Order: sequence, then structure tokens, then C-alpha cells
Amino acid sequence: MMDSMTQKAGIVAAAAFGVILVSSAGYSPVFSQGLPEGFKKGELAPEPSADMIEAGKRVYFTKCVWCHGVDGAGDGPGADRLWPRPRNFNQGTFKIRHTASGELPLFDAKKPIPGQNDLFETVTHGLPGSAMPPWEGILTEEQRLQVLAFVTTQLVKDRKFTDKQSESQTVLQLAELKPKPATDESRKRGSELIVEKKCVECHGMEGRGDGNAFNLKDDWGFSIQPANWHKCWNFRGSRQDPYNVSNIFRTFSTGVNGTPMPSFADNTTVDERWDIANFVNSLCERDALGNPLPIDPLTDKPKINFVIPSDPVEGEIPTDLENEAWKKAPKRYVAMGGQITHKPRNFVNRLDDIWVRSLYNDKYIVYLLEWDDRTKSVAEGKLPWAPTQVNIDVKEQDPKTGEEGSIAAQQNNYAVYNDAIAIETAVKWKELPAPIKPRYLFGTNDQFPVDIVKWEADGSLRAFKGTGWDKDFEERDNYEEAMKLLKAEWVNGRWYVMIQRPVGNKKDQDYDEDTFFEVGQYIPTVFFAWDGHNGDAGRKMAVSAFYYTFMNPPVPQETYIYPVVIAVGVVLLEGWVLTRRANKKKGKTL
Amino acid sequence: MKALMSLGALIGVAGLLLLGGMIFDVVPSNTVRLVEGYMPIQLLLEVACFVIGFTGLSYMMNAMGMALPRFWQGIGFWVFLMLYLKFRVYPPIPFSVRAMYGTVGLVTVFMWISANEEDWNKFKQPILNVLDAQTGMNRLLRYAYLVLIPILVGGFSYNAMMPKSEEPIELRTVHPAPPASTKVHGKTYTLQTSQNPYRVNPEGKYDQEFSNANIVEQGMGRLMKPNANPWDDKNQGYLKYVREGGEIFFQNCHFCHGDNLNGRGLHAFAFNPIPANFTDPGTIAQLQETFIFWRVAKGGIGLPNEGFPWASVMPPWEQHLTVDEIWKVILFEYWHTGYYPRTWD
Repeated sequence: MMDSMTQKAGIVAAAAFGVILVSSAGYSPVFSQGLPEGFKKGELAPEPSADMIEAGKRVYFTKCVWCHGVDGAGDGPGADRLWPRPRNFNQGTFKIRHTASGELPLFDAKKPIPGQNDLFETVTHGLPGSAMPPWEGILTEEQRLQVLAFVTTQLVKDRKFTDKQSESQTVLQLAELKPKPATDESRKRGSELIVEKKCVECHGMEGRGDGNAFNLKDDWGFSIQPANWHKCWNFRGSRQDPYNVSNIFRTFSTGVNGTPMPSFADNTTVDERWDIANFVNSLCERDALGNPLPIDPLTDKPKINFVIPSDPVEGEIPTDLENEAWKKAPKRYVAMGGQITHKPRNFVNRLDDIWVRSLYNDKYIVYLLEWDDRTKSVAEGKLPWAPTQVNIDVKEQDPKTGEEGSIAAQQNNYAVYNDAIAIETAVKWKELPAPIKPRYLFGTNDQFPVDIVKWEADGSLRAFKGTGWDKDFEERDNYEEAMKLLKAEWVNGRWYVMIQRPVGNKKDQDYDEDTFFEVGQYIPTVFFAWDGHNGDAGRKMAVSAFYYTFMNPPVPQETYIYPVVIAVGVVLLEGWVLTRRANKKKGKTL
Repeated sequence: MKALMSLGALIGVAGLLLLGGMIFDVVPSNTVRLVEGYMPIQLLLEVACFVIGFTGLSYMMNAMGMALPRFWQGIGFWVFLMLYLKFRVYPPIPFSVRAMYGTVGLVTVFMWISANEEDWNKFKQPILNVLDAQTGMNRLLRYAYLVLIPILVGGFSYNAMMPKSEEPIELRTVHPAPPASTKVHGKTYTLQTSQNPYRVNPEGKYDQEFSNANIVEQGMGRLMKPNANPWDDKNQGYLKYVREGGEIFFQNCHFCHGDNLNGRGLHAFAFNPIPANFTDPGTIAQLQETFIFWRVAKGGIGLPNEGFPWASVMPPWEQHLTVDEIWKVILFEYWHTGYYPRTWD
């Protein structure tokens, strides 16, 4: 816990710094009655009843205590393996609010109204991208209000929600501010403003959260990462409505308490804030037509299609991303989770998706893999193990409840390894009757191995044979010449890697080690990814589920002929029915 | 009667508006929530509500002299069924299953409209009218059908013949038959006779009735009994073990099975098959504790082939936990969901 004197000194220093910053910027903030534009003074809510607090305690000790801890200090048994860590309630610092920077969030135990009750909305919708789930449908509205009554009165210890002396409420009037239409002009102005307001310093030039990603700390000294604007479904304040521009406007207007994200209410007009929100919203991933991705209500992430189609091309497969063939190739969202099946387990997984496209010709298949990684990581010096080793003895840390030495405290302090990505395909998949496949983690055994193609950020592209989760890889050194790395580039927080490999065939290739990519068939495919700055190495990695590579066959001639034949047949049938009816009416029978 | 019917009509209109809104994305599809664990019953009830609504609606329209012909009633109901299956039921059911339901629905509709000769004739009449083309309108319709039907059929067959890459449907057995015994950390456990050593009463004896009396209460929220808080420092025995199990759960299991044991953990979205939902009455509630012990200890890789051992990310927990820890986690799972383990008798 911080010494209160240093804390005060810190606040004074910060305030002084703030004054200098504002005055030196020479920018006159827009005030109405001394308040930032779009804000109004609000009233503190009355204290919840003792009954509610008591009932809330029961909810808290059934559901919340496991992560947030007995005293609400964010140090429950689950806390240590989580990053971001569970909220420490004691200081009354809450991220998602309608209130001005530094103020307590809106909470009224009697008014569960959206837009007027920040904490209630946080519990209802959860905080996407963290372990906090939406509690709607699990706890009743009343139970959610009860538990908040308990948390705000008993576990927030340094501040008091009802103390008129020390607390004030300056509330963003979001309901009254009409969003500005997201015109090209508005977005363009937003794109200029994010440079002018220095958003890009933390969020990166393309908004992938890769600027200054290492030096940011929250109020408790844990490292923290700027949001990636391209994954709006992970915005903490997205309220299960990620493409809603108002959520971005709110976060930008009020800041995120406890983090380096300030409120921009004082030095931007409402109009400017809508421009910025429109621009940030426009960056979030969309489908080929520019529509928002469909979000799966069960997971609050984009819906998954497990088939990765590969389109045929004539001749050479282009390496240029701007090429028409790549632009037309369907792009698939591949969800990644931490590998927590075998040790060393990856509890804090920083690569949660990759985007895959594929093309093929008569000889080769090319995968284009794109994924956001805030840091380009290339191993410093020689790696302490051989690349074939999967059982690297990285000691798994025992969970502790203290803050020191916890996983969260270690974030961004790991020895840097290589960023890497791998495509695992089943060898001899045709000999396994569907749906049987070799195991997703490095194959079943010698009889049913997998073919692993792994690229690492040091520029290497290797092929391995995997024969089981507990076996080291076997390097297939003669196969490397057959493959080609067409592209490997890290730009503004995103890797673009293009890997070409032979499609193979049963006759010439070594079918015991090599996947045979057959047109029109479902080829089981798994993806692995490593973030070098997260200490990912060996089995500490991100994994996907089983996907299928499907090489779209060229359209056969029959597809055009048969439907015409069938249509003609239907015309004849119609003629027959009509004549029959007409004859019947006339009393004739055929 | 009339009041009852108008109430029904109201329900029907409201339901149709809701469904229509959901289909066209005007109304958020979560306006009427699907309640965890009770989804099948809820959906059946909803369909029942719709049927009541339609009855009321058709009665009211009759009374107002705007009766809908039987022909359109039949078609309308079938279309409603298909739309409901496609847009309301979640998680979505594959087309092949919808086609099966659609066929059954069609047969039902036919049985309904052909229940007696009169109804059947009423149903047939519009079709015959078009065939005979006595009026100008019908003649127009007849030519339109003459052109449209071949185009539609041709289009459908073209669509069906176009090579497609739809996800293959793979059906997995969620609870495969367990083995007779399982060997964990060098000791063999017979599934029929093993017991959870931590399911004990204050005297230290195995006592399921005692533990059942201390689990969380059923119903929304599933909260703990007011006088049985596992976080009470004075606890000895069962509740203390529940807390220890919970600590293990929240250090190892919640990443997939979720903070509320509903299979929606932090990493769950990436995996297929999805993690088990323990709050669903179809999982741990209908299994023996020793079955769970076997599943936890051996994990996905220990499943027989019908359980898809190659795809499951469930760790073989014997690699990470001791036998005691596994039993405690199981104890916690039953406590937190408020279910009783199934017994052998």
C-alpha cells in the first residue's frame, strides 16, 4: 500500500504538471459554468439500505470473492494468474464511468438505468478482454444492485460514495449528445486529431496499441497496455455493443481512472470528440463489405467460421498484399486461446486472434497470416534451447496471493524470445476416418503424426514432424528447401507473414511426413502463435481449435448445364399439369 | 371468451413484431433473454405462446370479417416455424437439422389442413383457381408461376451444385461411457466404489446428505446458504474443503469453465468443442462424482474416440494437480452449482 504522504505529494505534483501542461499547450478549454463541454453537475446518490448491503455480502462471497478477495483488494485466489488483474476496490478507482476524471463512478442502488449507473452496467455487461464476465442472466437485477451496495460501502475504503465534502459528480450527458454522423470528413478530422492530441503515442500509428507499450503502469504499479482499436470487442467499456460509437466517446471524454488514459474533456470540444470516436470506431475490424463483424452473444467475440477457404490462382501466387487475388480471398478470424493443457501453461495470453487468408496453384499453397502483436520480438542472443524442444523446462510459477512476484507484476519483464507462428496440419488425414484427427497438440503418435511449419521472427522457416504432446519435434531438414517465406514484416503493431509450401501429392512426396493438400477436401489445420515479449516459448503459446483448410475447386462445367436441364424439365411438367387439369374440367381423361 | 381471444391476439401480434424485429435487426436479438440451462423448455413455451397468439389472432380477424384463408394460414405457420428456428434458437442449429424440423412441420401443417374434407377443399381451392385461370388476376398469376418456378428450381439446383466449403458437421458424444477403473498417480480407483474423501460430515464420515444441505441454493443467482459461507474462518470440514477447491478452481479451471462455471471463461471463445457448462442440468448434475474424477484426471486426451480426444483442450489434470486437489475441485463444482452428484443406487 502506498504511503499516504507520498500519495498526496504525487497528487500535488501531478496537478501542478497538469496545470503546466494545459497552460503551455496554449489551448483554451471549452467550459460552460466552469464545466467541460457536455458535462453537468450531478447529485451524489443516497446510501443503500443496510438490508441491501447485507444481502450483497452473500452475493459477493458466493461469486466475487474468488478473484476480488475477502477485503476487495483484488487479491483473491484467482487474481494471481490474471492480467489484467481483478479490480482492487479499496481506493474507489473504477475504469468505466460517465463522471469526470478522478471522480467516483455513478452508482445508485435504486436506479438500474443504463447510462445513469456505471457500476451496475459494468457488472451487467462485464469487462470484455478481461476475466470479468457479464453477470446478466446469472444474477438477477436485484442481486447485482445488492452486491454493488456491499462493494461500494464496505470494500471501497479510501473514499465514500455519499460524502458531500470530498466527492462530487460531474456527469457526461451522453444521452443528450447526439452522435455526429460518421462521414468521411468527420473521420478524416478524427484521424488528424488523434495525432494532434498525442493518442498515437500510446495507441500507435495504426491504433494497434503498440506505442509506448512497455512503460505504462496502472495506479498499483502493474504494467498495462493501451487498447488496440482494431479489436473493439475487447474494449472494457464496450458494454457488449462494440461497434457503438458512444462507448468510445464516453471513454475518451471521461478517461480511464487508475490508468495512464486521461480524460480529454478539458481540451477537446464535443464535436472534436465525436470526430475522434468516429475515426477510432472506423478502425475496428469489419467484413469485406465494411459491415461490422457479427458478434457471438455467447462469447462477445466475432463469430467463428472453422473453414479457411483457399482460392485457386493461375500461375505464380502473388506476394503483394494489394494484389487483386489477395483482396478477393476470404479472410478468416481464427480465435486463439492460451495453451493451458500441458506445462508450461500460458495463463496470460496476449495473442487472441489471427487473420488467415490462403491461395493455391497447381504446385503450392500460400497462407497469409496477419496478427496484432504490440511488440516485435527477436530473441536477444542465442536461445537456451534447441528449436525442436517442446518440453522446455520453463518453471511454472506457483500462484501466490501477494502482489509481489505475481504474473501481472512480471508482465513486460520477460527475457525476449522470438515471435513465431506455426501451421499444423494432419499427415495421413485421409487414412483417419472423419472426424478422427491427430491430436491438436503436436499429433497423436508415430503412426499419426502432424506436419508443423513454423516461422520465427529471426527469419527462420522450419518444418517439423510432431508425434505427440510429450515428444520433441523432429526437424525435417530436407523439406525447408521446398518451402518459401514470401513475406515477414512487422508494421505498426501487426505481423504480416506469408508462407508458401508445396501442396504435395501421394506419389512424389514422403506421405509419411508430409501433408497432402487435396482440392475440395477438408484438411485439419491448427495454428500456434508465440509472443516473444510475453515469454512465450515451446509449449507456452497461443493455440487455436481445429480449423479446416479447404481448397476451393474450380467450378465444374456441369454446374452450369444441369440447372438448365432441370428448369426445362420443370416447364414440361407444368405443361403436363395444365393440360391434365384442362382436360379434366372438360370431362376428358387421359 | 372474446377477452381471452383478444389477449391471445395481442400476444400473437407482439410476438410476431418481436420476431420480425429480431430478423431485421431492428430489435436486439437479446431482448428476450435465453435463460441459462432452461433453454429447451423456454423455447417450447415460446412456441406455445405463439400458437395461442395465432389462435387469438385468427379468431379476432374472423370476428372482424378479415378472415385469413386456410391456405395462407397453413403456409404462414410453416414459414413462421422456419424463421423461428433460424433466427431465434441459439446457439444456431445447422441447416440439416432445420430441414428435418421443417419436414416434420410441413407434415403437421398438412395433417392440420387436411383434417376433414371441407378444410382440405378450402386449402386446395386457391391452387385450383390459379390452375383454371378464370379471372384476369389468376391468369396473370398462372403465367408468373409458369416462368418463376423453373427459374427458382434452376437457381436452387445451381446453388446446390456450386462447390461449397461449409463446415462439416461432426457429432460428438459429450459423456462417453466411463471405464471400470482409472489409475491416477499410481493408485487405481474403481469408479463404482470410490468416494470423494472430502464429502464428509463434522464427524469425518462420508455423508452426502450433510453436504447437500450446505450447497448453494437453486434458482437465479444460485447463492450460498446464509449460514454456510465457505469463507468463514471458523469453518472446519466440508465448507473448508469447498473453499480450498474453489481456490484451485479459480487458479486453474475458470480460464475455460468460467467464473460462474457456465463454460464461458476467458479463453473459452477460442476452443471447439466448447468447455462444459456445469450449471446446465445435463452435465455434472446427471453424473456420478467418480465420473467427474476420471474426466478431470485424464482430461481430453483420455477420452475414447467418440468424445473427440484430438480436439479437446481439457488438460489431463493429473499432470497439474494431486488426487486430493482433484477431489476438492469436484466438491467445489457441486457446491457452486447447487447440484447433487448422482449416486449409484
